[in-house]
Amino acid sequence: MLKGSVMVTFPFDMKGSYMYFRILEKDQVSTFIEGLAHVYEVVAPVMRGGGYSFEQVRDGSEVELDYPLTIIPPKKYFVRPKECLFRYDSHSGALDETDHEVSPRVLFGVHACDINAILMTDKIFLGDYVDPYYKARRENTLIVGVSCMPIPTCMCNAWGTGEVSQGCDLFLTDLGDRYFVTCQSFEGAHILDTFAKTHEASAEDKQALEDHIREFSQAFREPVDTTQLQLLFDAKYNDPMWETIGDPCLSCGACSAVCPTCYCFDVVDELDADGVAGCRIRCWDSCLDSQFAEVAGGHDFRPTRASRVRYRFYHKFWAYPSRYGKMLCVGCGRCDVACKVDINPRRIVEALREGESK
Amino acid sequence: MRPTAVILSLASDYGCQVQISNFPEILEMLSTFDLGYWQFVSSGDMPDAYEVALIEGAVTTDEHVELLEKVRATASCVIALGACAATGGIPGLAIAGPVRGQLKEVYGSGEKKVGAGARKPAPISDYITVDFTIPGCPIDPAELSRVLQRAIRALVDTPQRQSMCGECKIAENMCFWLAGTPCLGMIARSGCNATCVSRGRPCTACRGIAQDANIESAYAFAAQNKCDADQFESLIKIYNAANEQATQKAVTSKKTAQEVVS
Ligand code: SF4
Ligand code: SF4
Ligand code: SF4
Repeated sequence: MLKGSVMVTFPFDMKGSYMYFRILEKDQVSTFIEGLAHVYEVVAPVMRGGGYSFEQVRDGSEVELDYPLTIIPPKKYFVRPKECLFRYDSHSGALDETDHEVSPRVLFGVHACDINAILMTDKIFLGDYVDPYYKARRENTLIVGVSCMPIPTCMCNAWGTGEVSQGCDLFLTDLGDRYFVTCQSFEGAHILDTFAKTHEASAEDKQALEDHIREFSQAFREPVDTTQLQLLFDAKYNDPMWETIGDPCLSCGACSAVCPTCYCFDVVDELDADGVAGCRIRCWDSCLDSQFAEVAGGHDFRPTRASRVRYRFYHKFWAYPSRYGKMLCVGCGRCDVACKVDINPRRIVEALREGESK
Repeated sequence: MRPTAVILSLASDYGCQVQISNFPEILEMLSTFDLGYWQFVSSGDMPDAYEVALIEGAVTTDEHVELLEKVRATASCVIALGACAATGGIPGLAIAGPVRGQLKEVYGSGEKKVGAGARKPAPISDYITVDFTIPGCPIDPAELSRVLQRAIRALVDTPQRQSMCGECKIAENMCFWLAGTPCLGMIARSGCNATCVSRGRPCTACRGIAQDANIESAYAFAAQNKCDADQFESLIKIYNAANEQATQKAVTSKKTAQEVVS
C-alpha cells in the first residue's frame, strides 16, 4: 500500500472546499497504464475469445476501456474461483500460508456497478468475521473506475448503482477523446500525479461532463419499479410464479458464477498423493446446486429447482437488505446474459409486482 | 501391507489406460498399491485376491458380465474408469440398432465367430455395484488421484451434481449457443473446468449427464435455438446413448404424463 509515501496537496477552490478533477487525453491512457505497470500488477478489461475479461496487462494498447461487460466480474481478484488457502501436514500439524498471493494491484477500468458490488462483498468479508485473505487483497488493490453506456441487459438504474460515491480511487468519465478524471482518494491522486499526464478541466469539459450524465440516464431501456420489494416478496413467497420461473432452471450455476454480488463459497481438503499433506481449498459455490442446502443424513432444505431459484432472489432482495440496507444486486445484467432460461432480476422484480402471467 | 489393485479393460480403446501411463504423478499414486494386474502393460494373469479393481470399458459380451461378477465378488472397491465404463461411452452408440444385424454388416460371414455372446453395450453399473466413478473421455488424472485417495481411506466421493455452464463461465468462455453452435454443457456432469469449450470445442457430455440436469428444459432451449430434438438427441447419444432418461422419448413421455395430471 502507498500509505506514508504519499505527498499530495489537494487544490482548494475559493470557498475552501477541496476538489480534484483533471482531464486525461485518451492518447495518454496507455502511458498511464504502462507507468502503473512498473509498480503494480495492473488488471484491466481485454478482449479474449470474443468476450471481455479482466486480465493482467503490461501493454496499454491491449486495454479496452470502452467495453460493454466482462464475463466474470473483478470479484475473482478478491476471492479466487478456486484457491489453496493454506497447505497442511496432518502428521506434524504444520500450516503453510507462504504461497498466499498478495501483490499491489490496480484494477483499471471497472464499471460503477462492479465497484458498488465490491462495496457489498466488503460488508460480508470485512464485517463481523474478517476474512484475512480477502482483506489482504482488498487493502492492496487500487480501483480506477470508468464510465459506461447501458446495454439492454443493464438495470443499475433500478438500484442506483450506476454511480460511484465511494469505493474507487479514480473514476474516468468518457468525454469522447478524453476522460474527466475524478479523484476519490489520496492514493488515486498520487498515481494520477505520478504516472499520468493530465491537464485542468475547462468550462467546455465540465459542460461535456454534464452532457454525458444526461445521456447516460436517458440511455436505459425503461425504469424498473423496485419499491416495496421486500414486502412484495413476503406476499408472493408461495406464489406459483416461482414454479413457472424456477422449474426450467438448468442447475448450471452460471448465474452465481458471473454475479459480482454472489459470494458463497465452499471449503474442501485435497490430499496429496502421500495422503499426509494436503491443501485446504476454497472455491466458489452456487445455491442453484442441489448439494448446497443438503445436510448430513441427506435432508435437503431446498429440494426443488424452484425453491433454489426463489432462495437466490430471497437472499438478494430480502435477507441481505434486511441486514445491510441495500439490495444484493447491482443490475450488471451478467446473469441475464448467462442464463439460458431467462431467470434474471428484472423478470423477478416484474413478476413480484405484476405477476408472471401477463 | 499395501492393498492390491488390478486394472482391467472391457470394450474400449484403452485410451484411459494410456492416460494413466502418461502421468508420472499417477504412476506414483499407483505405487501406494501393489499393482497385481494391469491389462495394458502386463502379460500375466489376474491374481485371485485383490482389494481394488479399476475397470475401463463398456460391457458388450457375456464374457464381460461373467468377469464383472467375479471381480465384484473379489474386490471390496470397484472403480469405473472413463466414459465407456461410466456411461457406456462410444461403444454405447451401438445400442440403437439390433446388435446381430450390426455385427453381420461389419463382419459378414465371420459374424458368428467374432460376435459370440455379444450384448447390447452398457455401463458397468448396469450389472454390478460401482463404488467410485471417474468419468470423462479420457479421464482427468488429477481426478483419478483424488478418487484413489478417497478410496484408500474409505471416504465417500461427492461428485458435483451441477451441469457444466457455471464452470464454463468461470473459464470466461463465450457461449457456443450465442453463435448458433449446439453445446451440451447445460446437461453435462461438471468437474472438467470446461476443458473442451476453453479449447474451442463444444461440450459433448463425455463425463455423463449431471445429476441435477434438467433434460426437458435443455431440449426446450435447444429447440428454441434451432437445434431440434433429433439433432440434440443425436449429440447426447455420442457418449450417453445408454442413458434412457436423456432421450427425447423420456422427455416426451414425461411431458405427456404431466399433461394428463394437469
Ligand atoms: S443478480 Fe444478476 S444483475 Fe444482479 S448483480 Fe448479480 S449478475 Fe448482476
Ligand atoms: S438460474 Fe439460469 S444460470 Fe442460474 S443455474 Fe438456473 S439455468 Fe443456470
Ligand atoms: S452451453 Fe457450452 S459454451 Fe454455453 S455456457 Fe454451457 S458449456 Fe459453455
